[in-house]
Amino acid sequence: MSSSHDTHAAHGAASTHGAHAEKKSLRLTLHVWRQRDPNAEGKFATYKLDDVSPDMSFLEMLDVLNERLIAGGEEAIAFDHDCREGICGACSLTINGQPHGFERETTTCQIHMRRFEDGQTIYIEPFRANAFPVVKDLVVDRSAFDRIIAAGGFITARAGSAPDANALPIPQVAADAAMDAAACIGCGACVASCKNASAMLFVSAKVSHLALLPQGQAERNSRVLAMVEQMDKEGFGNCTNESECEAACPKGISVSNIARLNREYLRALASSD
Amino acid sequence: MSVTGLLLIGFLVVHLAGNLQLFSDDTGEHFNAYAEKLKSFGPLLYVAEFGLLALFVAHLALGLRVTFENRAARSQRYALDRDRGARSFASSTMVVTGVIVLVFVIVHLLDFRLREMSPDGLAAMVVRRLSEPAGALIYIVGVGALGIHLSHAFRSAMQTLGLNNTRYDVPIARAGKAVAIVLGVGFALFPLVYFSGAKHSTHSASVRAAVPSTQQRSLADEAVSSRASFESSSSGHSEEQR
Ligand code: HEM
Ligand code: SF4
Ligand code: FES
Repeated sequence: MSSSHDTHAAHGAASTHGAHAEKKSLRLTLHVWRQRDPNAEGKFATYKLDDVSPDMSFLEMLDVLNERLIAGGEEAIAFDHDCREGICGACSLTINGQPHGFERETTTCQIHMRRFEDGQTIYIEPFRANAFPVVKDLVVDRSAFDRIIAAGGFITARAGSAPDANALPIPQVAADAAMDAAACIGCGACVASCKNASAMLFVSAKVSHLALLPQGQAERNSRVLAMVEQMDKEGFGNCTNESECEAACPKGISVSNIARLNREYLRALASSD
Repeated sequence: MSVTGLLLIGFLVVHLAGNLQLFSDDTGEHFNAYAEKLKSFGPLLYVAEFGLLALFVAHLALGLRVTFENRAARSQRYALDRDRGARSFASSTMVVTGVIVLVFVIVHLLDFRLREMSPDGLAAMVVRRLSEPAGALIYIVGVGALGIHLSHAFRSAMQTLGLNNTRYDVPIARAGKAVAIVLGVGFALFPLVYFSGAKHSTHSASVRAAVPSTQQRSLADEAVSSRASFESSSSGHSEEQR
């Protein structure tokens, strides 16, 4: 992991120095999944771009392509995006066979075209899972995640003014682990990259960040049971512990959360309340 | 899945320990005595065997269900599908190595459990089978597939049971590899040793002397014909059966 980071870093550095000014625009061949609606048969359409600036983000490159399509009287390619700064979880896309592309811990919206080579062919597909049906082109319906969150319900906590800073003791280890789990942006790349289209990494992150904190204790058991039940209803696959999700997650959510989810689930099953 | 798999691993450890008796002397007496001892448990042995069969069938059924459900969870596949290097050869072939183990276990039971006991004892039967090229090959492939299966299985089971965490992950992953190597290599020793003839001379001399001549000839033949002639020649000892 660190070695591939180093190579990319070196590469990036080179292009910010002298190479930056000279680095010419890229010629790309894009194979983009086009699908009119959820029930239509989709297929790849091929587009050629010969003046892609290396400074563009991946989504900006698609914006440019869309402007051309519209100008030519064609329908724009539908894709999801919102913040474009890697924090909202709206963007998706499977780029050359990898959800969010090949860069580690990076969302699609944070990929830049300088990472690609002149003359490269790029396949762009939607996230694929039966629980994430295609809405149109590259847009998939990830509301299964919302229903899992909803099934988890509320926490019982005192509302009103902020409590005293040290009124509620939380061990640093627990706070750190909870924060790490809470970094999940709900993008669905874990499902998209899992060979079984399992949602365990997402659910484990959501269950973990509350189970680790005192505020999550009141509903600790009922929450995990309800969320897992909803997850199963949505038609995700079963986890076989291959860890591809962790490698694909733009927020680096660890599979140790999945072990915790399994622990929480067994604990809840065994408890009487 | 995880519970049945771990219990099966438990059985395999005991099974390997039992088999190692084959190496403890040259005549196979220790091993034969061990087999007799097991038989002397009578009905208890049947109970244990039934339990083992139930575990195996349950594990198989759960494994196949998981595999089919997982295939069904993504009916439209990716045109281009690239791993990120997290999954291993073993983790991506669990159902394949599992089915190889299944076929192997059936052959193995037909070889030594569902067939009549040879008059010269179980140890001699084992040595004979593992000295044949076909026998050695089947056993090496079977336990090789088992080793590969287990190299993913142990850590996976710990993860599934929630027994893993960031602190234990490395030791657990290592223990998983160790389990796979000890059982995979451990069981592979038997066909390797007997086929290569490393422990052949003294032992097989005593075995040969005890084998009726029809069987001796068949030793040189292929596995299939040898089994046929073996069955016809040993049909007189049917009271020994099971
Ligand atoms: C009949 C032959 C077998 C088949 C078809 C089979 C199939 C499978 C499959 C598909 C899995 C993956 C499921 C998952 O990762 O959740 C698996 C896991 C596993 N197998 Fe097997 N297997 C067989 C034999 C064995 C044997 C003989 C052992 C024990 C020595 C074993 C031990 C395990 C363990 C410990 C796991 C991990 C369970 C988990 O991740 O929760 N398997 N098996
Ligand atoms: S666990 Fe990672 S990949 Fe999965 S939804 Fe959360 S941020 Fe996305
Ligand atoms: S658009 Fe918000 S994370 Fe990519």
